[in-house]
Amino acid sequence: MALLTALELTIWVLEGQIPAPIPVPGVKLGLASVVTLTAMVLLGRREAGCILLMRVVLGALFAGSFSAILFSMAGGALSWAVMAGILGLFPEKLLWVVSVFGAMGHNLGQLLAAAAVTKTPSLFWYGPALLVSAIVTGAFTGLGAMYLVRALRSYQKKQRP
Amino acid sequence: MKRKTVFWIALFAALAALGVGASVLHGPAGTRAVVYVDGEIYRTADLAAVAAPYEFTVETEYGRNTVRVSPGAIEVAEADCPNQDCVKQGAISDGAIPIVCLPHHLVIQIEDQNE
Repeated sequence: MALLTALELTIWVLEGQIPAPIPVPGVKLGLASVVTLTAMVLLGRREAGCILLMRVVLGALFAGSFSAILFSMAGGALSWAVMAGILGLFPEKLLWVVSVFGAMGHNLGQLLAAAAVTKTPSLFWYGPALLVSAIVTGAFTGLGAMYLVRALRSYQKKQRP
Repeated sequence: MKRKTVFWIALFAALAALGVGASVLHGPAGTRAVVYVDGEIYRTADLAAVAAPYEFTVETEYGRNTVRVSPGAIEVAEADCPNQDCVKQGAISDGAIPIVCLPHHLVIQIEDQNE
């Protein structure tokens, strides 16, 4: 678990360093969520929640601002809740669907936090664009998590025949 | 199994198309840039009536942003916040995407004149 936390944190920090291909706030691939989802499948919901929480708290240390932690937390918590809630409803082959819903939850959480902090409800006009972004990025990270789960499973089998 | 996969792909594709449609429909309208701090209008600028680029500073209890207005576009040129997201975003010229400076509770949106 500590290893996965370190991995998720590293990916998150690294992704933050790469200039976004589309300079749009809130739109990024969310590669770190691959780890959260993989942990959720292989270790369990609570463990994935712990990893996510640690990433948010430690990540805030790197980003160095308090408003970022609130923002990160809002997205992470909602995303986790959504994914934990529906994970059991989908077979593993449809893990990417879980991921898409998680991404939607993440973006909705961040949008809510942004609207609350700035007290500007008209920000919700940005919702549709974020929805599209969630579908695309969620599908990609979900596929990534799916393959990672598969690879880790076969690796485990090789270790203990 | 396969049918389910197709179903979800179709559903998400339809949702994405709806989202794009909604953004595009809402997007191009208006030339009035509104700068909000804490949801209150701080300053507005008619981007269609800008002859020469100019800058102004938004100074609040949260921090300082320098906003640059040019013909048809508006951007945050400088900010004393830690993440610089709003500066990196660059200029916007339509209503599809707002500029948000979260640490400073600042939002810049382009709206319809009548709104």
